[in-house]
Amino acid sequence: MKNSEFSGPRYWKSLDDLAETPAFKDWVEREFPAGASEMEGVNRRHFMKVMAASFGLAGLGMAGCRRPEQTILAYSKAPESVIPGVPVYYTTSQPGVRDNVPVIVETHAGRPTKVEGNPSYKPYGGATSVYTQASILDLYDPDRATKSSISETAVRDRLAAINKAHAAEGGDRGQGLVFLAEPSTSPSRAKLVAQIKETFPAATWAEYTAIDQSTSERAAKAVFGKTLRSIPDFSKAKRVLALDADFLLNADASIGLARDFVKTRKVKDSKDATKMSRLYSVESSLTSTGSMADHRLRLSSSQMGAFIAQIAAALGVSLPAAAKTAAASLDVDAKWVKECAADLAANKGHAIVVAGEHLSKSVHAIVIAINEALSAPINYLEVADAEAGIADAVARLNEGDVKTLVILGGNPVYNAPVDLDWAAAQAKADESIYFGTEKNETAQAAKLVIAASHYLESWGDGRTFDGTLVPVQPMIEPLFPTFNELEVLARLAAAQTTDAYSIVDATFKEQGGSDFNKFLSDGLLEGSAYKASETASGDYAAAIDASELEAPELSASQLEVRFAASSHSGDGRYANNGWMMECPDPMTKLTWDNAIMISPRLAKELEEEQGIQIFPSKKPMNQDSEFFKGAKGTLQNNKAEFKRGKEQGVVAELSINGRIVKGPIHVVPGMANYTVLLPLGMGREVVGRVGQGVGFNAYSVRESNGLGIASSAVLQLTSEHYNLANTQEHWSMEGRAIIREGNADYYKKHPDFANKMGVESHAPANYGKDDDKTLQEKSVNNYRGNSAYEHPSFADPAPNVKVWKGEEARAKFPDVQQWGMAIDLNSCTGCTACVVACQSENNIPIVGKDQVLRGREMHWMRIDRYFSSEKYDQTEVPEDVQVSFMGMMCQHCENAPCEQVCPVNATVHDNQGLNTMAYNRCVGTRYCANNCPYKVRRFNFFDWNKRQIGEFYKGPLGPVDEPEIGKLQKNPNVTVRMRGVMEKCTYCTQRIEAAKIDQKRIAGATGNIKVIDGAIKTACQQVCPTDAITFGDISDAESEVSKMKASDRNYSVLGYLNARPRTTYLARLRNPNPEMPDAYKKPYAYAEYKERYGSQSSGDDHGAAHEAPGHDDHSSNHEAAPAAH
Amino acid sequence: MATTTQDSSIDATQAALLAKVQPAELHEQPLVTNDRDFNWVTDKICRIVETKTPTWWWICMAVALMTASFTGLGLLWLVSSGVGVWGLANPINWGWAIVNFVFWIGIGHAGTLISAVLCLLKQGWRTSINRAAEAMTIFAVVCAGIFPLFHVGRVWFAWWLFPIPNSNAIWPQFRSPLEWDVFAVSTYGTVSVLFWYMGMIPDLGVLRDRAVQRLNKGAYEGAGALAKGMDVFRKNFYAIFAMGWRNAGNHWRNYEMAYLVLAGISTPLVLSVHTIVSFDFALAVLPGWHTTIFPPYFVAGAIFSGFGMVLTLMLPLRALYGLHDLITQRHIDNMCKICLGTGSIVGYAYIMEFFIAWYGANPYESFAFINRAFGQYWWAYIMMFSCNVFTPQLFWFKKVRANTALVWIMSIFINVGMWFERFVITVTSLANDFLPSSWGYYSPTMVDILTFFGTFGLFSVLFLLFLRFLPLMPIAEVKFVMPQADPHGHHGHENGDHH
Repeated sequence: MKNSEFSGPRYWKSLDDLAETPAFKDWVEREFPAGASEMEGVNRRHFMKVMAASFGLAGLGMAGCRRPEQTILAYSKAPESVIPGVPVYYTTSQPGVRDNVPVIVETHAGRPTKVEGNPSYKPYGGATSVYTQASILDLYDPDRATKSSISETAVRDRLAAINKAHAAEGGDRGQGLVFLAEPSTSPSRAKLVAQIKETFPAATWAEYTAIDQSTSERAAKAVFGKTLRSIPDFSKAKRVLALDADFLLNADASIGLARDFVKTRKVKDSKDATKMSRLYSVESSLTSTGSMADHRLRLSSSQMGAFIAQIAAALGVSLPAAAKTAAASLDVDAKWVKECAADLAANKGHAIVVAGEHLSKSVHAIVIAINEALSAPINYLEVADAEAGIADAVARLNEGDVKTLVILGGNPVYNAPVDLDWAAAQAKADESIYFGTEKNETAQAAKLVIAASHYLESWGDGRTFDGTLVPVQPMIEPLFPTFNELEVLARLAAAQTTDAYSIVDATFKEQGGSDFNKFLSDGLLEGSAYKASETASGDYAAAIDASELEAPELSASQLEVRFAASSHSGDGRYANNGWMMECPDPMTKLTWDNAIMISPRLAKELEEEQGIQIFPSKKPMNQDSEFFKGAKGTLQNNKAEFKRGKEQGVVAELSINGRIVKGPIHVVPGMANYTVLLPLGMGREVVGRVGQGVGFNAYSVRESNGLGIASSAVLQLTSEHYNLANTQEHWSMEGRAIIREGNADYYKKHPDFANKMGVESHAPANYGKDDDKTLQEKSVNNYRGNSAYEHPSFADPAPNVKVWKGEEARAKFPDVQQWGMAIDLNSCTGCTACVVACQSENNIPIVGKDQVLRGREMHWMRIDRYFSSEKYDQTEVPEDVQVSFMGMMCQHCENAPCEQVCPVNATVHDNQGLNTMAYNRCVGTRYCANNCPYKVRRFNFFDWNKRQIGEFYKGPLGPVDEPEIGKLQKNPNVTVRMRGVMEKCTYCTQRIEAAKIDQKRIAGATGNIKVIDGAIKTACQQVCPTDAITFGDISDAESEVSKMKASDRNYSVLGYLNARPRTTYLARLRNPNPEMPDAYKKPYAYAEYKERYGSQSSGDDHGAAHEAPGHDDHSSNHEAAPAAH
Repeated sequence: MATTTQDSSIDATQAALLAKVQPAELHEQPLVTNDRDFNWVTDKICRIVETKTPTWWWICMAVALMTASFTGLGLLWLVSSGVGVWGLANPINWGWAIVNFVFWIGIGHAGTLISAVLCLLKQGWRTSINRAAEAMTIFAVVCAGIFPLFHVGRVWFAWWLFPIPNSNAIWPQFRSPLEWDVFAVSTYGTVSVLFWYMGMIPDLGVLRDRAVQRLNKGAYEGAGALAKGMDVFRKNFYAIFAMGWRNAGNHWRNYEMAYLVLAGISTPLVLSVHTIVSFDFALAVLPGWHTTIFPPYFVAGAIFSGFGMVLTLMLPLRALYGLHDLITQRHIDNMCKICLGTGSIVGYAYIMEFFIAWYGANPYESFAFINRAFGQYWWAYIMMFSCNVFTPQLFWFKKVRANTALVWIMSIFINVGMWFERFVITVTSLANDFLPSSWGYYSPTMVDILTFFGTFGLFSVLFLLFLRFLPLMPIAEVKFVMPQADPHGHHGHENGDHH
């Protein structure tokens, strides 16, 4: 066989194939017209010449293409832009249904390894969502659709044949042709769709996505007569009312929204504490937005209409009479409504109301009216009208004689509304063609499958949520023989150009772009956003349907079901993504499963009614005895039944309209009493190895008239139990001063409240006589407090290196920078993007559900989530809770307890203040992990990287073959750890080193080798939408991190241990409205601390209490907000 | 002439005086009863090794070997797949392995205490139990050593814990208590072996000489070639290990001196080993571990469990080999009393921990201790407390001590209790430490359980081999404490030694 030495492992398309494909010839022709002529009759010499030269231009046009295996054929000439070991970054964007996320992708030797947000796109500031972080893993998923069901040439012929059969000229005009596509933001695609509609005038073009987020746009259309997209400008907001809207985490463009919103919550010092914005959240399930709320009201989703009508009435917004009647159908604390509305009204021009997209059009119409009345800072953008929906496609298919059904992406067999019975409709078409990246349910049911390229392998374009044009450019040649969507559409339309690059280039020009290379290099086209629309006063009355506002009666036998995307798989598209599956849900901390989420009240009622236990029977150890009350602690895993550290979910059957879905129950405090939350997107049946047997499929009970909310559901408990892999069993902080919270006005009066908490507040200062030294001095000099021993300062050169000794030598080795981190707890929304960013950056393996159940998840960074309640007697799960998040990773303690106990010197301190791990040296005694107060060290109990999930226990008898393709994702600058070694957060030491090398290069002879502030961003910091994490040099007083640490809210977790962590936290603030019925003088977590430890042992308020006597005691002296049901 | 008169007059006066004052007889139980002679002792001890292997030995050996194979297989699985086959996880990164290690090391304490400390304190009663106790110590250390060695993630690199200059040019980290463990345990093991072996040399000489005598007599007609072959083996085997022992006066002088020196070296080790093992915990920052009471408390606990184990082993041996004249009620009484004493110290420590936790006013500490007793591992705490604190208190009663079966059962309770003590300390502190978000629960896997269970098999295999091939008691030393050995003793009295 000719050129047989070129053939690599199977997933690589052999170069031989590649060289002879028309696509390759096209490509070469485009880039190298001269070289292309030589491609006839390939010989090795010619081939290499062409290849090498092409790669030379890789950085300009064809970004970062994969090149042949370098072990066999080294570069004969080094490509210009590639320096071995130095990553190359390219811009692109992750296509979404309604927005593309602009990103920058890090590539190593042609392999994309890490996705990061593109900071050029200001609204997102370089942040991305957790899904974008994880999306790179799908590229290397060995279980994705790796090839079409027929050969590539046959696919092209088939597409041409379809065109011929249905074209307006000579065909049936598209009579027997139906398209069902996933919505897309791509203008190139839109152009091709228009062309298709022209070519096949009688064809049906429908679009469907499982989770519809366009209600507000449709409401705007009803009000204003044109489809308008509203983008609130939270940076201008002082008061926000979120109506069942998780705008901080689960909305379109929520990265930008969260970013803007948190800007109004950044508090520099106690003086501007009360300038903080205030967030009211009325919601049915516990969301990230609810966790940030200053006032949170539990209310079922179906009651939101009546609620917002009451708010509207209180604000004096005129409503139709029927709406007013509907408003009265809800019994809710009138004072809550009144005071909330009054607060919004008082901040006219700076108050925004947002509503969840699952709420009815009428709700959105009222919200638009309210926002108009409040002159809310909202931008309305004109967007295109929606295409026909899936119901039209089903209707057309059911009519019969559909010859060809083309499904472009998505997975309707799995996620179409169950009453439409898409699978049956699809089977009615003579030929169904599925084009997608996955081998999924729809692909299985299709007669012909065309494998789609991953976005990191494709040319394309798209728009962000605000319409800014962004490119999609490939980082790598398709790993498998897959197709680009634009090419498929172009071939169907028999367009002139079928090559995606040319189509995109042409679209770019049409959109008013001039410099395509600049577009690629910036990653966006400035000024290409959607046109803003002036909103003339609309016709609200017509848009409001009072019957949609009527609040239904709910009870344990008349439940409301709320469908929402799973935090693991989205609408199901990430079901085979191990990172997502193992990433704990922000609120429940469940991995590898979804669960039927119910409120504590409902759980109790079901228990009583059906006699099956949901809560643990054990009583807290100090319940009955005065003596043990002094014990100040409880141990019950008091939210769910835990057996040997495994959550035992009671399996329940949920029936809606005669359809039943079965799944484990998980009790979530803060849920509306009779709302059941069903996360969608799990329980896929045709899926790769990762998604196999994960969760249950909630789509099986979702109908088209209840896509977001369904009613009249009943829960029947069974005697079965199901193990849920929960990474955080205990949800109470136990009154410990771990996350410190205060109210804004309290902070204003007691700026040092955070440091008056915890054991350290009444223990001698760790630094003893040096307590008053500045952070900078402390960071370098390693003061020992009251210790009798002298210690070398951190920045000292190693004592055993002779050449560093002496004054002269010291001058050559200036003080090393001292790294530290500050985390602003007030900014963290708990989105967990940092967890996956860290995983992606640091080659962190996944371990599978079984191992998570055993407590062996490997995440270097975790988000601790604690609940606190106003009154918690430890016997019952509270119904109303406040949520606090804390990102926890290696704290890089200066006196690290782990270092002292390692018997082999595998974990040591370096002179930049990093607590480092020498994996090669680690023998795995795990002593360090035991002695770590923060429990952030992770141990490789098995060969996670070599063995597959499910094969860990087989030892040498099990297969050792990690799919080779998975290795391509690995960051070459981070060691892939073997079994038996400990690992942990390194402050992204590889990034620090890269920046230092870079700085040395820049410094040249000047010797200024200090890395400038901000040049290093750790992976978690980089991805954080709200900039909660700051990293930098703490020996430099001017650095951002030093400024953060200078805040009086800054404290060390467990500071009393004198471990002196380099990562410190800024206490969280809440900003309650004192007029509200559920106002609190202290956040619940603080009140709990005061009650448990504050008054007796710490006396932490000594100073403060004297200044403002009686101010801060008896925190909880108000009525709880009555939760409506 | 004058002198003799004087002598006899003194004798006479003395006798008269004694008759007059009628001194009370010391009712101390003799250490060898039934007025046995020296030859009986030699014969009794040597015949254990020399007679035909009893059937029960074979049965026990078979069972022990089978049990030991669990450890072997468990470790094979562990090394070939990863430490994950055990029940460990974050936050409980030390589970049964470390519990078992401390447990076995604790058991290993009695031997050296008996041979060294009691030797220096001139406690004659040590002689009939010290050899077996020392053997127990060594085998316990062998069992103990398995766990810290194999619990590491990469056992093939465990040698990095030794300060061997290697191509990496990295020393171990001398601040780590785990590193101190390596030195403490290996020193302890080495000295124990030396001490044990040194003490055995005269007895090995005896066994050699008896084999030589029988070979010289050549009276094997009835017994056959096997018996002769065994004696040839014994002659050579014991000859090698007796190292030319000839019973000469200077041999004995050197022997006695060396024995004393080793006793002196071993004595601090008795204290140091478990002190250092306790540092594994005490030097950590964890609430429940970070406790200054640990060193004395661990040492007391170790002696407690060690004596428990000696009782567990010696009582059946006494019955099997008919050693009632050598291991007397007095021995049993003494051992029970030591258990009582050390058990009470341990009990005191348990209570003192609570006091300090309260007095220290550190919420994390007080929680750790309350949690120990009343949290999710309360059952382990109850096991520990009842076995270790209540059981030994029964030894106040003579009747209890005299009931051999009861003493034996209670000795097992003691060891169960001491295992649970280590479990409670190791696991409860780790399971619920500083941040509630990381709290967890530990449960062992079958591999954990079988690996531990198997070490009892390994221990038994070694102990059975010891019984079969080595002298169970130091023959000469037993003779020293017999009434006949005291040239100044009063031969009229039955109860030999009262010094």
